[in-house]
Amino acid sequence: MKINLSKYSTIGLVSLLSLIIFVIPYSASLEYSLRGKFGKGHDLTNYLWIFHQEGFLSHLSLSLELGLLAGLLNLVLMVPTATFLHLSLQRYKSLVDFICILPLMIPVVSLAVGAEYAMPSFLQNSQMELVFFFVILALPFTFRVLDSALSAIPLKTLVEASRSLGASWPATIMRVIVPAAKGGISSAFFLSFALGIGEYTITSLLHWDTFTTWTVDISQQNVLGSIALSTFSFLFAIALLVTIALVSSNRKKKQKELGETS
Amino acid sequence: MSLTNTVPESEKTRELGNSRRKFQFPFPLLPFFLFVGFFLVWPLSKVLIASLKSNNESWTFSNYTPLFHGIYFHAFVTSIRIGVVTALLGALIGALFAYVIDAYAGPRLTSILDSIAAVFANSGGVPLAFTFLASFGANAGLIKLLKSLGWDLYAEGFSIFSFTGICAVYIFFQAPLMVLVFKPALSGLRKEWKEANTSLGGSPWTYIRRVAIPILFPSFIGSFLLLFAGGFSAYATARALTVGNVPLIPLIIGDLINGNVISDKTHLGASLAIGAIAIAAVAMSGYVWAQRKSSQWRR
Repeated sequence: MKINLSKYSTIGLVSLLSLIIFVIPYSASLEYSLRGKFGKGHDLTNYLWIFHQEGFLSHLSLSLELGLLAGLLNLVLMVPTATFLHLSLQRYKSLVDFICILPLMIPVVSLAVGAEYAMPSFLQNSQMELVFFFVILALPFTFRVLDSALSAIPLKTLVEASRSLGASWPATIMRVIVPAAKGGISSAFFLSFALGIGEYTITSLLHWDTFTTWTVDISQQNVLGSIALSTFSFLFAIALLVTIALVSSNRKKKQKELGETS
Repeated sequence: MSLTNTVPESEKTRELGNSRRKFQFPFPLLPFFLFVGFFLVWPLSKVLIASLKSNNESWTFSNYTPLFHGIYFHAFVTSIRIGVVTALLGALIGALFAYVIDAYAGPRLTSILDSIAAVFANSGGVPLAFTFLASFGANAGLIKLLKSLGWDLYAEGFSIFSFTGICAVYIFFQAPLMVLVFKPALSGLRKEWKEANTSLGGSPWTYIRRVAIPILFPSFIGSFLLLFAGGFSAYATARALTVGNVPLIPLIIGDLINGNVISDKTHLGASLAIGAIAIAAVAMSGYVWAQRKSSQWRR
């Protein structure tokens, strides 16, 4: 009885805390974003405002494109790297692990200063500059996800089977490893995609204009509108990630059931 | 910079020592090393070199003297204070959340809460600043509600454009980040240890004090240092919130390279950037130590 009491009081305390810290502020901001014209009543005015702004579509499509490229490049670079770290090159794992933590620790502003100094001008004039730095910034998240995804599958057996049947390395990675670890690989993709879409620091310091920096610029005209936009992107991200989590946990369950029956 | 390099070097030589007989260059890792070399190591070395050059291209340490006086020194102190305060609060709150999720939530709820924590942890930046304006700005419903209940925050000198305000905003991504990085350590506590404690006659309190805390301590310190580095160097949120009221190192560096201040101070921007990296490097060496300590228990 005593244990149950402490259990419920802990859960109660934490729920209260999360209510104060997270739920109340975010609902307050939701309420704020729904205020109608001149602060009277509640409607969707602020949510519709953004669509009528000049440059909305062009900036959004640029950001989507950059995010997509960053996600793909990340996979092209990191899936083979992580695979080899799990197979024959395990002794380099702690080194790569360490390198992948660096972007999380090193201040992004410092990296931006370095980019101004070091990047050749043909890169400074190309959007790919941003994509490359998005990949660097996403490394801490994607490497960890890929690493644990590859630990969860019988990688060595799969690779040995595929190689001994005559498949080349690229074919092995594309047709065996990617399908086997698609859960982890898709979340690694989404992580770098999301980072690419929301990145502000490097983008603004290197003088690029993406959806994020554009939003900050136009928010000077309409604070309510930009709060609406923030709220919307926030709710959208939560909905997306929760759906992915539910789908993948369902799939795991199904796989488990299949494994038990077969 | 030198600090950040010592760790992998020593690790590399140790690793190589084990297998000197048949050393082969890891060609499959070449793309990764080239990429990281060009887009991470090379830019940072260029900053280091620039910070050691004077305006007429000779070597000098004079770019570093302003870091120890006046406004720049003050900005470093303020940024470090922000990092420590927000990391400490975030770590404590986040650890509590992580504990409750780990102990009481089922697998389905856990994965939902994990996703929500991931969104919150990455919500730092511009959207967060706007949300916070909406929640705690002078015109926000919440503030008005509190006022009607007789608690006027703004009359008591609260402002989101202040040190306290920034700390409050940072908690919003620090605490969820703590949940993400600290929960694996909590889940690593094995049930057998608790049972062993009970069967050897220990109370729950003994378990917490003599088993859980010693094992979790390195992970907690490591997570705290990670949070510190994030809070110390956060740029976007601070940029969107402060209008130059609170001097923060990331903002000053940003201003310098944007040419908003005085354009011939580019070398100062470089030395400030190296100073920021040096502080991050201290945090990082602690983090590496903590990782090593905590991985002892995860075999």
